Amino acid sequence: MPPLEHILVVNAVLFAIGAMGVLTRRNAVLILLSVELMLNAVSLNMVAFAVYGHVDFGNITGVIFAFFIIVIAAAEVALALGIVVRTFRNRATANVDEVNLLKW
Amino acid sequence: MEDGVTATQVVFWILAVVMLISAIGVVTAGNIVYAALFFIASLAGVAGIYLILTVEFIALVQLLIYGSAVVILILFALMLTRARERPQALFGRSRPLGIAASLGLLAALIGGIVATTWTTPESSAAIQPVGLQAIGDAIFTIWIVPFIIVGVLLSIALDGAIMLASPDEDDN
Repeated sequence: MPPLEHILVVNAVLFAIGAMGVLTRRNAVLILLSVELMLNAVSLNMVAFAVYGHVDFGNITGVIFAFFIIVIAAAEVALALGIVVRTFRNRATANVDEVNLLKW
Repeated sequence: MEDGVTATQVVFWILAVVMLISAIGVVTAGNIVYAALFFIASLAGVAGIYLILTVEFIALVQLLIYGSAVVILILFALMLTRARERPQALFGRSRPLGIAASLGLLAALIGGIVATTWTTPESSAAIQPVGLQAIGDAIFTIWIVPFIIVGVLLSIALDGAIMLASPDEDDN
């Protein structure tokens, strides 16, 4: 088993890469992909804590949390892609900086 | 035992490097489809790390839901929203600011991890695998109400997605 700190550092790097994608991309689908990377980092962290702690603390709640995160992420992807397809039909663009109807 | 531990760590680092390089590809690739393919590689790396952490169930769920369903949805959305008439920039104007902010976030996270004293089992023999039966027991006893709620939420979200993406009656 790798030490817990190594897994945490890898997950921190993955989370920061996802944040970079969210902050720099224009395309809504690519922003969604980056959000999925961040969700993956978080659920990997949950599983790491659960696996390293379940002998001492007697529960595996982190693994259950990772399972729920994956299910919620599937629902979120379906809804977000529906919104993107609808926006593309109305505005003929999938770039978030060109959807400025609410901007004065 | 000592050799086994070393081999596990080597495999972990190989998977981690592949996963992180693919993730960098996702956020920097110049082609949208290449970004989606890098995303699949990154998901496979995460599933491999789940296997190293002895939670086969989560690795299988990861491959089945993320690796197939979510990726197919994303590829469909990419093809449906491809603007063909003009080439477009993939990065916004605030790109340097975004890169600086994410590097700052990374420094803060790693600083926090290094500064914390983690009380983990010293030897890897103290780490027991999380069995499939333990996960099933937990989901269907303690977590049964959240499990049902998340099932209802999932079906509502999928119905809503179909409603959102289907054309209006007065569109034609």
